[in-house]
Amino acid sequence: MVMEAPVVWNNLKGIICVFKPAELSVGRLRTMLIHKICQGMNELEVRPPINYVAIEGNPSKKLSVSVKPNLADHPLVVGPRYQEQDLPVSWSNYLGWNTSGVLLFGIRSGTKQAKFIRENKPARVYKVKGVLGQATDNCFKSGKVVERSTWKHVKRHNMERFLSAMQASHQKKMFEMSGVDLQSDTAYELAKQGLIRPANSKIPIIYGIKCVEFDAPNFTIEIHCINEYETYLIQLIHEIGLKLHSTAHCTSLKCIRHSGFKLEHALLMKHWSIPNILENLATCNEILTNLDGYTPQKNSVLI
Amino acid sequence: MLKQMLRFNVTKHSLRCFVSQLASLKEKYPDIDKNIEITDSLEVQRDQNKPSLLEPLTEDISHISSYLKPTYNVAAYANKSETIQQLVKLGVNIAAIEKKKPEAVTDILKLSFDDIKGHIIFFNQLGLDNSQISYLITNNPYIFRETLDNLDVRITYLKFKQFTNDMVSRIVGRNPFWLSYRTQEIDDKLGFFQKTFHLSGKEVRQIAVAQPKLITFDQEKIKVNIFAMKEEMCFSPSDLKEILLKKPKLYMNGQRRLLDSFEYLHNTMKVSLEQIVENPEILTYRKKRLRERHLFLVKLGRDQFDSRKPNYVALTTMVKNDDGTFATEVAKSSVNMYNNFLKSL
Repeated sequence: MVMEAPVVWNNLKGIICVFKPAELSVGRLRTMLIHKICQGMNELEVRPPINYVAIEGNPSKKLSVSVKPNLADHPLVVGPRYQEQDLPVSWSNYLGWNTSGVLLFGIRSGTKQAKFIRENKPARVYKVKGVLGQATDNCFKSGKVVERSTWKHVKRHNMERFLSAMQASHQKKMFEMSGVDLQSDTAYELAKQGLIRPANSKIPIIYGIKCVEFDAPNFTIEIHCINEYETYLIQLIHEIGLKLHSTAHCTSLKCIRHSGFKLEHALLMKHWSIPNILENLATCNEILTNLDGYTPQKNSVLI
Repeated sequence: MLKQMLRFNVTKHSLRCFVSQLASLKEKYPDIDKNIEITDSLEVQRDQNKPSLLEPLTEDISHISSYLKPTYNVAAYANKSETIQQLVKLGVNIAAIEKKKPEAVTDILKLSFDDIKGHIIFFNQLGLDNSQISYLITNNPYIFRETLDNLDVRITYLKFKQFTNDMVSRIVGRNPFWLSYRTQEIDDKLGFFQKTFHLSGKEVRQIAVAQPKLITFDQEKIKVNIFAMKEEMCFSPSDLKEILLKKPKLYMNGQRRLLDSFEYLHNTMKVSLEQIVENPEILTYRKKRLRERHLFLVKLGRDQFDSRKPNYVALTTMVKNDDGTFATEVAKSSVNMYNNFLKSL
């Protein structure tokens, strides 16, 4: 392990994949990451204060030139060598307050890569948990229960049938959102290649949705999607409840994959130390080169 | 308009420099006024007495210089000010003071080292070591505003209240702001605790030494916490006293945080009030930590907090140690399992 801070600092750039716990904002997580990195860097061997040349004495006679230790460069006077405002960090996907899971941060020049990943609109996979039988005012478990209903009649096959219908309608929408005329030759060429991304970055599109766990009244749904946001997913659970002739609210949201980054790559908050972060940067760099995630997207094909 | 203002500032600045130079010259040559008078009256004579401008100057005038201009930070003064040099030698973090209390730095710069020497010797005599003195000055640079006589009176008050020397040095070392309060204020604050919790003199000394920051902590916040424990958590007055004696720090936590932890412990983990009073330090941990560890134990089927039944998990050992020790010794599992579990939340 290299202990010299400038060497470490030179390598400290790129994309890092962290695990975001629920009930913590992304902004707060970013501040904590910056704080941890700066703290770790200042504990390494930092640059010692540089001496300065002092010219003293009577200018009309002989001046004495001497090299003195410079107190103006001492860490106790100018502050620590690595300061929090000097470290640029930005996120490439935004997860809401209640969502946990994979989150990508760009550090230093990695902010550029983070921007490319964001503009590439990679697909994300969520595991969303819900409970049948109760509707809350904000559709999440934190809200007030406003309605109760029976749920015994909802079986696994009911849910699966509804979800596959929903997936089919979304795939139809996907071609409509591509920005080309559906009757044209270009549309045919696009459709031939498989799944495509929407031209608009605001409208959520679901590519795949299925029920992975059904233990009534609890259920877990896996969603592959683009352009989604937290309230959209929460509303989706509410809607599923209504369509199944019952009610439902969401209990937890977890992002398990973002482009090629999975939960196993994500770094837990307690593991944020300089050696772990450097290792994570290298792993993420490898994944990015395999995915070709550096370059801005040119065509609309999904991955 | 801006140009005019700038010009005005420049002239003001140069005027100030000139006045300061004049003052320093006056100090050096007390009879300078006399000279000016003479030269005014006898101009011809002056021409003869004064050396020509072309002759080399042998006198040292390098001490006549302009004021230091407003700087970006205190580092510009560090090589010139003896006070800062001595404080840095002591280990005081000037940068931290500048960041948190910028106005205190101007105060320090105005002081000469002789002004603060007395304070440092005073703290040393109280039994504080260098790191404690630097911690005190870094956190409370305003301590130099208090005169030595005042500090002496405040220490005498503590000794009068039967605090031993060790107790006093612990109090001053742990709570940098203690000595900035007047004797009357400290007396009121100690009285507040004695009255609210019906403490004996010995118990008051015990909490003052165990958690010196609590005594000078914002009393409104302490009152809010007392209300939360009494009315919202239903602790009896004797419970409150026991918690104070065992874990005085609890009264300095935020009310919201305290309630969140309590709610999780009491409502979800079904821990009784008596158990919490027995180990009040479990209330100091955040709800997040309690929840993570409790859910892991639930998943393994080891959530058994009743000491009369087998496979009992002690509340304090559950939250106290780091994740590795918890996973292997309390949960009888492995750290990797626990980490994977955390990612599944």
